[in-house]
Amino acid sequence: MTHDDTGGSVPALRTTRLGKRYGQLWGLRDCTLSIPAGATVGLVGPNGAGKTTLLEMIIGLRKPTEGLVEVFGHAAQANTAATLARVGYTAQNHPLYPDFSVADMFHLGQAMNPSWDMALATGRTQALDIPLKRKVKTLSGGQQAQVSLAMALAKRAPLLVLDEPVASLDPVARLEFMREVMAQVAGGGPTVMIASHVVSELERLCDWLVVLTHGHVQLAGPVDDLLAGHQLLTVPRATSDADLPGVPIHRTDSDRHSSVLLRTSPAPLTAQPNPDWQAAPVSFEPLVMAYLQRPFRASDSGNRTQPTGPTTKVMSR
Amino acid sequence: MFRFRLDGSSGVPPYLQIVHQVRQSLLLGYLQEGDRLPTVKDVSGDLAINPNTVVKAYRQLEHEGLAGGRPGQGTFITAAPAPAPPDASGALRASLEQWFRDADAAGLNDEAVTALIAVVRQDLRKEKVS
Amino acid sequence: MIWVSWRQHRSEAMACFGLLCALAVYAAVLGLSMRSSFGQNDLATCLVRSQGVGCPNSVAAFDNSFGSLVNIGFWAVLLLLPGLIGVVVGAPLLGREMELGTWRLAWSQTVPRTRWLAVKLAVVAGGLIVLGAAMTLLITWYRVPMDRLTGHFIHNAYDYEGFVFTAYILCAFGFAVLAGQLLRRSIPAMIAALVPWLAVRIFVEFALRPHFMAPLTLSQKCPCGIKGGNGMVDVPPATGHIGDLIVSSGGTGNAQLTFYQPASRFLEFQSIEAGIFVALTLAALGTAVWLLHRRAS
Repeated sequence: MTHDDTGGSVPALRTTRLGKRYGQLWGLRDCTLSIPAGATVGLVGPNGAGKTTLLEMIIGLRKPTEGLVEVFGHAAQANTAATLARVGYTAQNHPLYPDFSVADMFHLGQAMNPSWDMALATGRTQALDIPLKRKVKTLSGGQQAQVSLAMALAKRAPLLVLDEPVASLDPVARLEFMREVMAQVAGGGPTVMIASHVVSELERLCDWLVVLTHGHVQLAGPVDDLLAGHQLLTVPRATSDADLPGVPIHRTDSDRHSSVLLRTSPAPLTAQPNPDWQAAPVSFEPLVMAYLQRPFRASDSGNRTQPTGPTTKVMSR
Repeated sequence: MFRFRLDGSSGVPPYLQIVHQVRQSLLLGYLQEGDRLPTVKDVSGDLAINPNTVVKAYRQLEHEGLAGGRPGQGTFITAAPAPAPPDASGALRASLEQWFRDADAAGLNDEAVTALIAVVRQDLRKEKVS
Repeated sequence: MIWVSWRQHRSEAMACFGLLCALAVYAAVLGLSMRSSFGQNDLATCLVRSQGVGCPNSVAAFDNSFGSLVNIGFWAVLLLLPGLIGVVVGAPLLGREMELGTWRLAWSQTVPRTRWLAVKLAVVAGGLIVLGAAMTLLITWYRVPMDRLTGHFIHNAYDYEGFVFTAYILCAFGFAVLAGQLLRRSIPAMIAALVPWLAVRIFVEFALRPHFMAPLTLSQKCPCGIKGGNGMVDVPPATGHIGDLIVSSGGTGNAQLTFYQPASRFLEFQSIEAGIFVALTLAALGTAVWLLHRRAS
């Protein structure tokens, strides 16, 4: 985390019991996050999980039904210039005005954003050999995505939100796009939040993770901590969930054995309690997949500080 | 500038791949003492990976004594790697090689060998516990 | 934000300019032709002296040359034009942003969306007012000779000479902006706005306009049906004065009663009718802005 002038550490993004209701349905409920400055956050979830709703409330495009959003310590109020200035954003499918030239798009950015950095916008597109005079509709999908990204970056906002930024791009365009984002982040750049349902790509990009399903946060925290806090246990089939040293997230039962992805109790186990069990570390993609597939339970809100399951047997050595 | 490669499907974490490639290049002479490694920004922008991954790799190299950072200037190669594993395991290595030759002669393929090692290790562990 | 509004509507502005040029060419050609024909017939003195009673043949000749073209044809074609201009410009303003999803781009910059909309509406409406005024001036100029025969009050002239033409455009624009916002699509919004606009337009013109103010009455002794001329236009009308609008007439035995609006009331009527359409415009646009504000916060 970076420190502000007062000596405290201001999270880049903090939400407090954030929720949004559409008619009778809650698109997002009870969302509480605290994301440090400088993090690159992956927001994962299936379509309809509430990712776009969450992002729109962070940006200031939508008003929450309940709860609070704070960006770098300032409460976000939908549709006010102060809130809108704090977040750079590219929406899904990179909307741009088709008849505008690239230069026109940047002119629009300059007209509508006091903090606009024209040199950054034009510099990035020229480095990628995108002519400024070309109309947007004549650009390839990858080039449009780059222009969209340049617009979000040139706003010079401390938080950058990308909603499914590479979903519609070919593999080369994807790589080019993520290179740009990572180079910007590495240069002491913005805190970034990337919403995606392509889990494999988030692994190399993100050091922070939020898993969202059915409008609820299932898992949130720094990737390293989350990986250290989970294990893949191979146990005899008869082992019950209550006997496990943690919360089972995903269990696959075979005839004689079971494979359990476990969120271990806060104190990491140094000695193997039961010699019949095989333990292995969990990698990123299986961890995310386990939480994505977990049946929805409204009672637990996947916070990593949540206490363990019903009983924890102390194993004899 | 030294350029890294990333194999996304190899199962090896990116930071380790970076460490391996530095070690490899040192062995082959493509990297020499005093060479400057590319900046964190250059590597993360080149490979499209999180800068912290690069930082982790460079720290690992520092820990192994292969590289060191100079404030404001970057990360530099400080030493060539140790040329050979220590002698103490020389005998172990020889018996292991013989065992592999025996296993191959007995018709065990790679998977059978791996499974056998896992089972034996488990049994030994049980022995230790009881 | 002004540049942004202009740039987004630039191609529409070009099309409107092209339309204006086409109209100018048409008006110049026909207007000059009418003027020369008018001069040859020496109609001017006749009309001044006797309101056309004394030269029915000249009037008939002029009417035959230009009457159907200028009075019927022009009016029929141009009846829909202000509505079309208004809906074509208005429907995509919000409708296309919704269709393309560019609202996510437009409203996440540092300009709150209500201000974005207010500036856009002001800029575009301003442009439409300039267009409406220019077209009104062009049409008024070209119709001068024909107006000497018909006056300004008949609907062929009234609809284009004065404030109402611009007001018609603005009303269609207002309806279309609101329709685009509600339907979230451009083309359906154009139709959804044009139909009610046309309904209002026809209702106001044929049902309300003759009665904006209480008509005057003229009673004349029979023989009844004093008229002059032989064509589509009565020169002069039953009141004997060119420019009056006849509302209705009927006989009561040996006297003919004519209800009419005098020509002098032309500007008042224009103001009333323009006021109706401008009020509708403001109501529609105000609703659009209010809805936007309510959905955002």
